[in-house]
Amino acid sequence: MLLELKDINKTYFGAQPLHVLKGINLSIGRGEFVSIMGASGSGKSTLLNIIGILDNYDSGEYWLDGRLIKDLSEKQAADYRNRMIGFIFQSYNLIGFKTAVENVELPLFYQGIGRRKRHQMAMEYLDRMGLAPWANHFPNEMSGGQKQRVAIARALVTHPDIILADEPTGALDSKTSVEIMDLLGELNREDKMTIIVVTHESGVANAADRIIHISDGVIGSIEQNRDHNAARFGSGDLIK
Amino acid sequence: MKDLFDELRSTLGHNKLRTSLTGFAVAWGVFMLIALLGAGNGLLNALLDSSGDVMTNSMAVYPGSMSIPYNGLKTGTRIRFDKRDINLLEAPAFKEIIDDVTPQVSVSDTIALGRESISVRLVGASPVLEDIEKIKIIKGRFVNLPDEEGARKVMVVGNRTASILLGGDEDTGKIIGREVTMRGLVFKVVGIFKDSEGEYDSTCYIPWAFMNVLKNGDDSLDQIKFTFHGLKTEKENVVFEDRIKKAINEAHLASPDDKSTSYIWNRLTSEMQTSKAITYIRIALWIIGLFTLMSGIVGVSNIMLISVKERTHEFGIRKALGARPWSILKLIIVESVTITAFFGYIGMLMGLIANQVMDSTIGSKAVDIGFMKMYMFKDPTVGIDVAIEATVVLIIAGTIAGLMPAVKASKVKPIEALRAE
Repeated sequence: MLLELKDINKTYFGAQPLHVLKGINLSIGRGEFVSIMGASGSGKSTLLNIIGILDNYDSGEYWLDGRLIKDLSEKQAADYRNRMIGFIFQSYNLIGFKTAVENVELPLFYQGIGRRKRHQMAMEYLDRMGLAPWANHFPNEMSGGQKQRVAIARALVTHPDIILADEPTGALDSKTSVEIMDLLGELNREDKMTIIVVTHESGVANAADRIIHISDGVIGSIEQNRDHNAARFGSGDLIK
Repeated sequence: MKDLFDELRSTLGHNKLRTSLTGFAVAWGVFMLIALLGAGNGLLNALLDSSGDVMTNSMAVYPGSMSIPYNGLKTGTRIRFDKRDINLLEAPAFKEIIDDVTPQVSVSDTIALGRESISVRLVGASPVLEDIEKIKIIKGRFVNLPDEEGARKVMVVGNRTASILLGGDEDTGKIIGREVTMRGLVFKVVGIFKDSEGEYDSTCYIPWAFMNVLKNGDDSLDQIKFTFHGLKTEKENVVFEDRIKKAINEAHLASPDDKSTSYIWNRLTSEMQTSKAITYIRIALWIIGLFTLMSGIVGVSNIMLISVKERTHEFGIRKALGARPWSILKLIIVESVTITAFFGYIGMLMGLIANQVMDSTIGSKAVDIGFMKMYMFKDPTVGIDVAIEATVVLIIAGTIAGLMPAVKASKVKPIEALRAE
């Protein structure tokens, strides 16, 4: 297993302590395309943040590629994120004052790769996304779909072990959403890329081979979705 | 390193408002500091200049008039100084304090050399006057003891006077040995003294013995000057001045309590007051300088704080992509140092230009107060070393001030930073 979660618990201590994840057990193998589905407040984003080493957890164990991800220093966490994980966010999270190619180069910069090599690699991935002519444009000069493809190029450029996508189509129209999800599916099939998508849209979740339903901090059901039509009419209480 | 500067260029280039605000805070701080220090120095230099070429331990006593009727003499009776008053001050009673005593008498008259003539102030001088007045002889000599005792007809003239008498010739040394005439008397020029800064001094010194003749037998003295030693504090000086006044009152049969029979100008106490004023100005300058520097630092750290807050989301993205805390910290510090150094340099240049402007406008304007010219402002500039020091201090302090928010930003958890907007 590429990734194993054992009895993960997470509580946010505010004015009112909030037990967000209540003992999550989950294994995801290399090359899987999984979606985590749940309503807002179900804990799905928290789970994704823990998988992405953006947030820590209170108890349990998280193994990533044979390494226990627990109590890491900021520096270690940064290095793991850099080498093992590629992020795709709902709001793209491109840096506005950098061009498309500079944005894609950024993770390579933090790996200490030289500028020429960096540029070449970034251009290669932008080209794959069909965005080579847009390389020197700034994010605010691009459409939402183009921005998300830049973000995907940025996630792929370091050859990570997993791609984590948090509502990747949340800010896109339905046609572009389909394109982006097709692109992720293609990456999974052709590059054997492990992809985890968090969403509340069943249409998006349907692109994945396995759908994990989460509600109130516990995993409700896990659905095999090889034929990609299981969730057409939703599952449980989530109907699209 | 090149990567870091590329990063910097794109950051600064796309955040022009933030960059210019920070830059303005820094440049303004340095500019104000240098301009203020320059102005303060101008004030100090002017003060030092006006008290500069006077010998410290000397007093001048001028005759006045009675303000209290005494011994049958009415109010307003004029006091007349003559040789006996010199003897009074040279008496054993004052011996341990007073050193050299010299009378001073002057008349206005015209002197001529060939076809050139000029109206001058002739002062009867004894040799000690050279020290008391700090007269700077540039060629020849001052009136000496043999001149005085032998009543030799010699004269010491000012630089400009010499030039005029020579018909405008700047090589004033040529006048030494020439003979000038006055009221049918012939005087040989033995020395030239330097006029005080930038002004014309028409004074000519001749031996004391001729004054009686020139004043038609009148042996009264305009003033008596003397050097002294051993009076340390202002209070001691005042007590001693009172002793002299009492002695003069006694000699001139005036009331012992009459304060207006003589006037004393004490160069030592006036210099003490000047040096006290200079000390106060120095302290004030330091305080103003430190506060200006502090406000500059506060400005820089304020902008840094805002800048870091504004960029929290960006730092979150960078962290998610694998930026280590140190690389975030480095980014902020390099940015802060570059901005403060660049704009600090500009502020420094502007400050130095402002000093030059001050120097060429109010700096060169002398205020004419009748008998001499005074500068309110003289050389209002700071040394380049002070300017650089101030700039470097601001850069370092600005960086340290910017460090706190930077450290905080580098420690923020990526998930929190990403949530910030």
